[in-house]
Amino acid sequence: MNLILRVTIVFVFVSLIVFLIGGVISFNIMMREVNQEQRRFLIERLDRVSVMLERRPPKDTIDRNKFFMYPLAEFTEERVIFSDTLVMHSQLERIEPHLKVEAIRNVNGKSYAIILYDIIIEPDDIQDGLVESLVKMYLILLLAVIVIGFLSSYYFLKPFNETLSVIKSFSLRESGQKVHFPRSGIRELRRLNQFLEDMTHKVRSDYQLLKEFSENASHEIQTPIAIIQGKLEVLMEGEHMSEEQIGQIISAQNTLKRLSNLSHSLSILTKIENKEFDKISRVNLSDRLNSLLDEFRELIDLKSIMLETEITPEVFIEADDVLLDLLLTNLINNSIRHNWENGDIQISLTQKAFEVVNSGKDLDLDPDELFTRFKKSNQSSSSLGLGLAIVKKICDFYGFSLKYTQSGKQHRLKVVFRKN
Amino acid sequence: MKLLLVEDQLELANSIVNYFSREGDVCEAANSFNRASEKLYGYQYDILILDLMLPDGNGMNLLSLVKENWPQMGVVIISAKNALDDKLKGLDLGADDYLPKPFHLAELNARTRAVFRRRHQKGQNLLTFKEIELNLETHEAKVNGSTLELTRKEFELLHYFFVNENRLLTKQTIAEHLWGDYMDSADSFDFVYQHIKNLRKKIASAGGNDYLKTVYGVGYKLKDE
Repeated sequence: MNLILRVTIVFVFVSLIVFLIGGVISFNIMMREVNQEQRRFLIERLDRVSVMLERRPPKDTIDRNKFFMYPLAEFTEERVIFSDTLVMHSQLERIEPHLKVEAIRNVNGKSYAIILYDIIIEPDDIQDGLVESLVKMYLILLLAVIVIGFLSSYYFLKPFNETLSVIKSFSLRESGQKVHFPRSGIRELRRLNQFLEDMTHKVRSDYQLLKEFSENASHEIQTPIAIIQGKLEVLMEGEHMSEEQIGQIISAQNTLKRLSNLSHSLSILTKIENKEFDKISRVNLSDRLNSLLDEFRELIDLKSIMLETEITPEVFIEADDVLLDLLLTNLINNSIRHNWENGDIQISLTQKAFEVVNSGKDLDLDPDELFTRFKKSNQSSSSLGLGLAIVKKICDFYGFSLKYTQSGKQHRLKVVFRKN
Repeated sequence: MKLLLVEDQLELANSIVNYFSREGDVCEAANSFNRASEKLYGYQYDILILDLMLPDGNGMNLLSLVKENWPQMGVVIISAKNALDDKLKGLDLGADDYLPKPFHLAELNARTRAVFRRRHQKGQNLLTFKEIELNLETHEAKVNGSTLELTRKEFELLHYFFVNENRLLTKQTIAEHLWGDYMDSADSFDFVYQHIKNLRKKIASAGGNDYLKTVYGVGYKLKDE
């Protein structure tokens, strides 16, 4: 429900209540005025009757239209009493409420009772009139509110909607130029646009800085590693190196390699997070998997692992081929690394899913933590604990689901590409 | 082989120059875009080893300059940026190879030599060491004229030893050369030993001598004693 519609509905309800209360108030005020007028009118008539009474006091009861007068037997104090009464209306031929005045006048020591009643406007006429006019006014108001609502939502909210569409198409990655929001004559919108302009600019430059930092950090680490690596190699070539010394150098080199891999993996994770892998193409996953398995064949054979594959040909996935390669490589790597000698691996690829099942010892960590960074089953192993974190990140990026299950000594990692 | 190394990290440059000089190659170093172009205009080089990140200019520009003026010169890019973009761009601009930092000097040596052979020794596809002969075109290995039945990996391994003659190649270096990124799944590099063992066996049965020396159990060296 949009803002204008909601405001209109609230307005319609509130105005309905206002009209109801207003109607009651108007009715009361009008009735009061009419009553006053009627009283004045009756009193005028009473005065005229009094004058007539003084001139020619009646002997008997006089009963005319809406007028009674009769002499009283006893002397009574003068008084005027107003009251309401129901009288048959002569023209309308129905009972109508009338205003009645009963007065006692004393003329020449004799008391006379005078009763007058009349009606100027009937209360139900006033009520009918009020209701009719209020309903018409309410309908006009309703129409006006709806028309104005839609017009204003179109004209006043136009710049707002333009701003919205600008934000919608906002992308972090287009650095450099500022985002331009439409000019608006409305102060609030102008302030909003100004704020958004500043904010998007800031967000972009911060993002840029962060990106540069994480990329640079990764490169800057590789350079000193390269220097150390070179030095170690020159050192190793030197004369008179003992077996122990060379062993130490090799161990330093291995550690250095891990450091380099670590920084490389972290930079990949950052790049995925920064959505830098955006070269989407139609990748033939079956072909990629087959050629990767060829590369791995020797490593699999070296561990005497039984490999069974069931690969559906012509499985196409729309994604960045680098990421898909990483996904496959890391999963296959994982199944070899955590396998044992003479173990087995079953790999299957269908249109819907990619699955790797391998033998291996029990996990000694919570399966839910398997995909978090730096979690590894064997803390002392040379693995970085980033492989599955990268796989998870890639799956999240493309909306694939990644599931780990274990049955007996069999570990199953399943990537589902399409849900249905 | 005459090399120009463009690398702003002095320490790394020293190691590389040192490594190549021992091989008997001439290797000069420049640490900036300007120094490199001065040297390029002044002297003749076979191969340019280029770091893409230079303090006073983009390495890519230097690459275009070289390709424009000295199209015969082979270019090997070494870069701390392991970005696929840079790699593709570099190769598109005419670089012959791309090696991300950090690398083993033996690997740089092998790659540089491969580029040198392709660029400047056309037709010379034969590498020989004593009675062993490698044909890089047909991927054939011969000992005293009789052909060895080598797998692709065994041939590559032997080739790697040939270009790094007399140098200690650790198991790690060999594994990385042969399997690249995939060797991450290996728990140890003992499988390198399997290949060496097979290679020795094949050479010996063809009547060749064993020139693959085991060094302290950490690596191997192709050496004639």
